[in-house]
Amino acid sequence: MIAAFFDSIPAMILLTGILVGASGALLGSFLVLRGNAMLTDAISHSIVFGIIIVWLLTRQLSGPVQLIGAAATGVLTVVLTEALARSRLVKMDAAIGLVFPALFAMGVILISLYARDVHIHVDTVLLGEIGFVWLNTVTIWGQPVPVAVATLTAVLVINLGFVLGLWKELKLASFDPGLAAALGFAPAVLHYALLTLTSMTAVAAFDAVGAILFIAFVIVPPATAYLLTRRLWLMLVLSVALSIAACVAGYVLARVWDVSIAGMMASMTGLWFATALLFAPDRGLVAQALQRRAQALDHDCRALVAHLFTHQGTPEMAEENTQRALVDHLGWSRPRARAAILRAHDRAFIERQGGLLSLRDKGVAEAELIFGTKGTNRG
Amino acid sequence: MRDDTLHEPGQALHVEDLTVSYGTAPALWDIDLDIPPGVMCAIVGPNGAGKSTLIKATLGLVRPVAGHVRFLGHEIGAMRGRIGYVPQRHSVDWDFPTTARDVVEMGLYRSLGWFRRPGRDARARAMDALAELGMQDYADRQISQLSGGQQQRVFLARALVQDAPILILDEPLAGVDASTEAIIIDLLKRLRDAGRTVIVVHHDLTTVQSYFDWMVMLNVRIIAQGPVRDVYTPENLRAAYGRQLAMIAVPEGGAV
Amino acid sequence: MLADLMASQIVRTVLVGAAMLGAISGMLGAFAVLRRQSLLGDALAHAALPGVCLGFLVAGARDLGSILAGAFLTGALAALAMMLITRTTRLKTDAALGIVLSVFFAVGVVLLTHVQATGGAASAGLASFLFGQAAAILASDLWIMGGIGLVVLGLVLALWKEFKLVSFDADFARAQGFPVTMLEAMLTIMVALAIVVGLQLVGVVLMVALLIAPAAAARQWTNRLGMMVALSALIGAGSGAAGALISATTRGLATGPVVVLVATAAVLVSLALAPGRGLVWQALSARRARARISDGRILAAMQELAEAHDDPRYPAEQGMLGAALGKAPAPGQFDALERRGLIRAVTHAPEPTPHWQLTEAGQRAARSEEDDKT
Repeated sequence: MIAAFFDSIPAMILLTGILVGASGALLGSFLVLRGNAMLTDAISHSIVFGIIIVWLLTRQLSGPVQLIGAAATGVLTVVLTEALARSRLVKMDAAIGLVFPALFAMGVILISLYARDVHIHVDTVLLGEIGFVWLNTVTIWGQPVPVAVATLTAVLVINLGFVLGLWKELKLASFDPGLAAALGFAPAVLHYALLTLTSMTAVAAFDAVGAILFIAFVIVPPATAYLLTRRLWLMLVLSVALSIAACVAGYVLARVWDVSIAGMMASMTGLWFATALLFAPDRGLVAQALQRRAQALDHDCRALVAHLFTHQGTPEMAEENTQRALVDHLGWSRPRARAAILRAHDRAFIERQGGLLSLRDKGVAEAELIFGTKGTNRG
Repeated sequence: MRDDTLHEPGQALHVEDLTVSYGTAPALWDIDLDIPPGVMCAIVGPNGAGKSTLIKATLGLVRPVAGHVRFLGHEIGAMRGRIGYVPQRHSVDWDFPTTARDVVEMGLYRSLGWFRRPGRDARARAMDALAELGMQDYADRQISQLSGGQQQRVFLARALVQDAPILILDEPLAGVDASTEAIIIDLLKRLRDAGRTVIVVHHDLTTVQSYFDWMVMLNVRIIAQGPVRDVYTPENLRAAYGRQLAMIAVPEGGAV
Repeated sequence: MLADLMASQIVRTVLVGAAMLGAISGMLGAFAVLRRQSLLGDALAHAALPGVCLGFLVAGARDLGSILAGAFLTGALAALAMMLITRTTRLKTDAALGIVLSVFFAVGVVLLTHVQATGGAASAGLASFLFGQAAAILASDLWIMGGIGLVVLGLVLALWKEFKLVSFDADFARAQGFPVTMLEAMLTIMVALAIVVGLQLVGVVLMVALLIAPAAAARQWTNRLGMMVALSALIGAGSGAAGALISATTRGLATGPVVVLVATAAVLVSLALAPGRGLVWQALSARRARARISDGRILAAMQELAEAHDDPRYPAEQGMLGAALGKAPAPGQFDALERRGLIRAVTHAPEPTPHWQLTEAGQRAARSEEDDKT
């Protein structure tokens, strides 16, 4: 059965995607929380440079030596970017946009010049070839397994260990780096460790999904989870789950429409995000619009009560505490003023005597609630 | 219904029922404010009181949910160019490639109209404004090379060059050295004596009595407003600052 | 060989086109960089990919007009999506940029593979938008690019002071009654146009560098906005032309990476050598400042400290002296003073840093310095 699983091409393709998604989402949750999304974008591009350098030196396209090369390139990117920004000659966002394209460009040129005949094709760099991951295998316990799967599994285990083992340090350093430093947690070390692992994951995923699609797997599912929950552990679980769902759905649709599998998988992460953006309970756009409508009326009603309260018992009261005053002085339209008055009336805040609006006891209590005072009328 | 005729033309700044809300909590609530012309007015209050928000709302930079604002009876739209605004210094990137004189000339852009460039006349007026602030020697200096106090003076010169009857400054004395503070206050007082209205969001309670003749105490709502000697009382200070009151110059005979 | 090249009509077309594209990107990149929109440029460039494919699908062939229109459309959608995300959720700008960038690009990849599967031979030209292929620029394209370039240049010149003010101090501009939202939108749209147009030269992935690098380089040489924009356009044009030339003469090299490396080289040179800002200048001026700190001033500072602490043998910490003098003296200077017998090294537990104390001779020298001055 196991042999059948590993020999099935679709299963291997799916498994590769799932491994990319899961290992990316684990790290991505913290990257999104820390505001490092664009730094991830930078690393994702610049590892191309690392890949070709390692290949030129060792002729190896995968395996631990590539992972080490990736880690070094990731650190190099971050170090160069931060050094450039620290010089104060260039701002941080410009620094990011200068360093990674330069490294990426150098990588692409080196590939074009020296690696044409080998597996690294310039287009692959961007798009990946997840459909062909089953071509390169390594034999584990007598079973041929795609190299990508083996590497990604190792990376997933490492990422999981990192996240679970350093859970509270990561949590603290992401929310309060100052406190973390004071407590000796060395947030800078954590920062570099996180980005190094991201680089390694990027290179492990490189064959499968290419440099840029990787970003989608790292950033988008965690961002989607962020829209749905405020609890960190749930955010991690959700992002991994969303990632896996995107891979499965993407694979199916890609086969149906005969398009890039990795591209489709990444697009699905976007679809989940858009769905959450619109329909998340409480925080989605649809929910927000509905809440706003309900709130606006309540808000106007309270503004009316406050207005009546502050002018109550003053000489201008006769003029201020009228519907006309709402229109003239507060700048409300007549329908809006009418709706507010009706609402306040319904809630037994006010009563109307002729043209004059006055507060009932419940209204006075509400006004005091608004102003946080008891008994004092403004002088 | 909006009046097209002037509403409260006797007040330099007239605010009624102004309410600004960011999300669920109000930043400003039901503000009724009248500042007469020809005074030097301080707007004070604790952090988060909404002082900057008040300024921005009157200038139309922030949209209120209720209320209206008039300057000398006119709506803000008709008063553009006749109000000299000095924003907070940190609201701008001082690494922008431009000189001190360039910044001052920006105060004249509006009067030049679309498509025109500042010419010799504009340049001369900018130099005059810089000279008023003692900054004429720094006219061609890149603004990142100026100290905080010098930057503040350049900002003030930019408002000065408009020759406006009303000046509104947001924390102009924050983080400036003592000599700059003296220069700025001296200039503002001269402007007030010449009949202009000067409104300042001020961060330092200890200098209110010596610098200003009118004050507004604000903490989301108006606590008190009027001549300084009437408003600067222990009761009002307590009402505005509550528990934040630490060591503040207290009026004679009062204990806080 | 160069002469032969220049004689070729095709090469001239490519060079002119590349220079034009570089100039447009350089000019608008200056505004993007000053307004901190560098990474927005990156997102818009990646987001243009689906639009490029759509343009190809709609036109059925490589038609620059429809490709540019498609790219602009999806770029605009991306910008709107970004604003929507930042305004309505708790997600921050960087996350919004990353989401928009990667998702739009992913959709673009899907469309690209779809076109490649169904589009036939002409669709090979599409892949050139990934890394840029200046060699694909046709003479007819030059008109479109030239037209866009003139329009953009005209707008920038006409509204120069408005764009300058809005980029520097939007609040003040708004208070003055300028239509800030419209002006900012115009600037962003022009940046988007520059990106869309520059895609042919460097491709979606590297466009951000063509936007930023000439501007970053130009900034080092001048403190005036006008000069910066002009210089940025010039450096952009130069990088574009040089990159196009090199990649045209080297087999199998896409234009984008070469142009980016040329532009990056320009940045590095500028960072190092620019007078008044560059690193070389900084190092030289620091050394000059150090040289100016005379021995006399060191002794005088030590004497002041000794008097303040009422202890002629006060051990002054080296760092404190550096702070008092405004610049740290070269380490050799202390050794030289010690050799002259004016100061001696002492330790001051528990601090491990170097401390110095005046000798009798040093105290006399310091006092005579002071007498000399009064």
